[in-house]
Amino acid sequence: MVLQEKIENKWGMVIDIDRCSGCQACVVACQSENNIPVNEEKDFLQRRFFEWIRIERYWEGVEEAEKTGDFTKVKARFIPMLCQHCSNAPCEPVCPVYATYHNNEGLNVQVYNRCIGTRYCANNDPYNVRFFNFFDPEWPETLRNQLNPDVTVRTRGVMEKCTFCVQRIRRAGRDAAQEGREIADGDIAPACVQACPTSALNFGDLNDASSKVSRMQHDQRAYRVLEELGTEPSIIYLKKVDTHAGDH
Amino acid sequence: MGLTRRQLLKRSSIGLGAVLFAGCAVPEREMVAQSPGRIPEDLVEGFDAHYATLCRVCDNPDGILVRVMEGRAKKVEGNPDYPLNLGKHSAKCEAGLQALYHPDRIRTPLIRDVRGGEVRSATWDEALDRIVSKFKAGQSQPKGMALLTSPLKGHLGLVASRFAEAYGGRHFALDTLEETVLRQSMKTVFGQSRIPHFDIENAKCVMSFGSDFLGSWLSPVHYSRQYGELRQGEKRGKTGRGILIQVEPRFSLTAANADTWIAVRPGYEGALALSIASAIIREGLADEAAVGRFRQLISAETLAKYSEDGPEAVKTGVSAKRIKELAHEFVANSPSLALGGGSAGAHTNGLFNLTSVYALNILVDNIGKAGGIIFNPESPMPGVPDVRKSNTLAEWKQLAEDMRGGRVQLALVRGANPVYGLPGEIGFSEALGKVPFVVSVTSFHDETTAQADVILPEHTYLEDWGDDIPDPGPGFQTVGIQQPVVMPFGSNGGTALVPAGTSQGFGDLLLNLAQDVGGSLQKDFKDWGSFDDVVREGARRLYEDKKGALPLNVGTTTASSFDEFWIGVLQRGGWWDHKAVATKRGKTPGPFPVARDPEFRGSPSQFPMFLIPFPSHSLGDGTGAHLPWLQATPDPLVTAVWQTWVEVNPATAKELDLKEGDIVRVESPVSSIEALVYPHPATAPDVVSIPMGQGHKGYGRYATDRGANVLDLLGSGEDKETKAFAWAATRVRLIKTGRRSRVPKTEGVVPAIQVNHAPVVQVTRG
Repeated sequence: MVLQEKIENKWGMVIDIDRCSGCQACVVACQSENNIPVNEEKDFLQRRFFEWIRIERYWEGVEEAEKTGDFTKVKARFIPMLCQHCSNAPCEPVCPVYATYHNNEGLNVQVYNRCIGTRYCANNDPYNVRFFNFFDPEWPETLRNQLNPDVTVRTRGVMEKCTFCVQRIRRAGRDAAQEGREIADGDIAPACVQACPTSALNFGDLNDASSKVSRMQHDQRAYRVLEELGTEPSIIYLKKVDTHAGDH
Repeated sequence: MGLTRRQLLKRSSIGLGAVLFAGCAVPEREMVAQSPGRIPEDLVEGFDAHYATLCRVCDNPDGILVRVMEGRAKKVEGNPDYPLNLGKHSAKCEAGLQALYHPDRIRTPLIRDVRGGEVRSATWDEALDRIVSKFKAGQSQPKGMALLTSPLKGHLGLVASRFAEAYGGRHFALDTLEETVLRQSMKTVFGQSRIPHFDIENAKCVMSFGSDFLGSWLSPVHYSRQYGELRQGEKRGKTGRGILIQVEPRFSLTAANADTWIAVRPGYEGALALSIASAIIREGLADEAAVGRFRQLISAETLAKYSEDGPEAVKTGVSAKRIKELAHEFVANSPSLALGGGSAGAHTNGLFNLTSVYALNILVDNIGKAGGIIFNPESPMPGVPDVRKSNTLAEWKQLAEDMRGGRVQLALVRGANPVYGLPGEIGFSEALGKVPFVVSVTSFHDETTAQADVILPEHTYLEDWGDDIPDPGPGFQTVGIQQPVVMPFGSNGGTALVPAGTSQGFGDLLLNLAQDVGGSLQKDFKDWGSFDDVVREGARRLYEDKKGALPLNVGTTTASSFDEFWIGVLQRGGWWDHKAVATKRGKTPGPFPVARDPEFRGSPSQFPMFLIPFPSHSLGDGTGAHLPWLQATPDPLVTAVWQTWVEVNPATAKELDLKEGDIVRVESPVSSIEALVYPHPATAPDVVSIPMGQGHKGYGRYATDRGANVLDLLGSGEDKETKAFAWAATRVRLIKTGRRSRVPKTEGVVPAIQVNHAPVVQVTRG
């Protein structure tokens, strides 16, 4: 829905599943950066916890293990899941108030003060990465000191989701402008990418052919999640390498 | 401006995704969905500062940068320069902020006038007067003073141990998952007192026995960073993707990431390592010189018992064919590296297990080579504690005995929670109750503090000075410097920035106490000044020894004065020198410990299951339980949060008629606890695993009365050689209670979508 013809940056991420150890560092880094309220036990039980990025864990080979009794053949597979910032996002056209739209940098953006909470977007989102504020967020007073002043605290009744840490993108843009240069590859790291101990997460400009993510997206292990839906995600995953894939 | 028909058709045809109706002239501005205020619309145009310091939530501190805005710490990030973690950090590092701003932080000194009664607020003067008078009175019997801390390194470790020494008392350090066995195995195999650098990054094959180095072992961020490189490092072109073999009875995070997981029978890790070694030698896979060196450590007679088809190998539960395959795989994928720790060392034969594991490195001759065992050099700060030393379980038992016998009059506790962290069987709580005067220096109430007579509020690490010599280090000399990033958080609830001076650093407290108590203490600490002086003087000696060399990203630069050097190390988060590597080889190895089978508490007939407790991925051994982010961090495999669960093999669960969410009583010969059942498909039928960390009786609002403490179940068995805590040597049984509760977890919340079977990439073996 953007009329500007010139798109300079198309922010994207490449996630190497072969590096990902499933350690959850990205999850907490995101919560700290983006003022996500503490997920209490009841939030998990009510399935109303907020994780803009989450680690999905899949068991593989469970049925076979049940048959053979060889539990050592069971594998755990991890996949970090976050808003895919689709170029053809199913969540965007259903918003009646343009609270969610695609901006000219390839970001799927949520404008909180436009949002009226219809939740159509979450309903239409195949990745389940949108979160609705059923309640006002609460922090004990002292813990509010740690809130990030760059990020809005969302109120009850609005939808929220991963922003690719747009505040960091803006800051890098301003810093680069001050220094009279373009944003360089590696200038921007969303909180999850910055934390990732194994460097499984990589962020950059997919329009810049020389960027790391541009090079990585052509890896033969590359795929996009649910790409058959035609959503054209900006997140490219690199498959896990399994030395024993042919053994059974 | 309206659209012409021609423009409209043109735009519709290039597929903008908008539904436009011919003939309706839509104003262009209404079609622009781009928010005029670029979000975040209320971006604060403020200045932030990043201070380099050390994370003290991790056992082996990572270097961190803390983003500070208007006097408030906002975000913890990895320090890109610090050699251990190179800009990366863990969930634990982030949560340090919540310790700083925790709503349940102790804000004033507290006095408990009656044992078992409530505490009341007091002034520092009143609280210190009490402590000083007790310390003065105790000088006639100085041995009756016990200083109980977490394992301390750096200058804080120096001040604490000197304090105890000068007073004439005793210093005990508590680490529930003690590294005593690991350290002794390093001495036995390599003649090293410091843990070497394991060069996972450059290895081709890593075989790890019980050490969950991606989850909780020693320095997870350091090892995780290397693991990423092991798999897909850009410079691996020639060697190709490295492989990981995990030998462990439990499916830890490292096992989950391994190419091969060998579920060895608990306690037989050493036997398996020796069987692999035996196979390597019998198959003629190792070179003569290496075999010679190996035989110096392990005699031919010992090794002969461990042939891969012999009776000792059968006990491991791994077939002779598999052992041979492992031997071939380990040797063929050179450089290969063997690691061991965690539950493998926490048996009554722990030292035998770990010594056997590390001896494999001798066979593949990887010592001092890329992809192998790289010794860490001596500390650049001689005389300052540089290893994370803790007291053995036997020593803690003795202390409890002394307390019961009235031989301890005075206990000063800091950073240790022995009432929670020692096995219930020792009865430390009751023993501590016999000590006439207990002081706790802490930021939070916990089970030990609940028995203290005087409680002094302590700075958190983000408000205090310190330094650290990483152990294990990165293979070259490194010193981390910890500096305050914000003013101490005030007693006014944090609404004002003005510090109220209500908490103190532990170092300063000891130094002040020494002056007030007088006598030998005062003499010993006469010229030490405050604790930040101590840290700075330590850096000054480093400046003088190293002739002002300061690290750059590549190479070094030279500071022309100490002030320049000091500012330089504060900006970088420490000092290190890539060229200062170990030059000395270790002493002659040995002696090899007696080969023995593990012994378990509880008979197999009454208690049919092996219990493998494990440090929670986020809460560790329980020290992180008060931080809500860590409570809410899902376990990477079970995905459970905020609770204690027990991992049971699904077939075993079926036999016992247990389903997910059933509450079971886990009974050991010592005690019992209740936990939620989680049928775990990658668990052996006779093994159950329970995470540590929960079951606190008083540790702030987020941890209290939540889950159960698995340590209560454990017998106080010890490794036969080192007397260290054998925390994996207890057997249990499960009793269904008939009650149920849901497991709070992230698994299954989002529907899984099965796509057409797309196998993960298959690689052919080269």
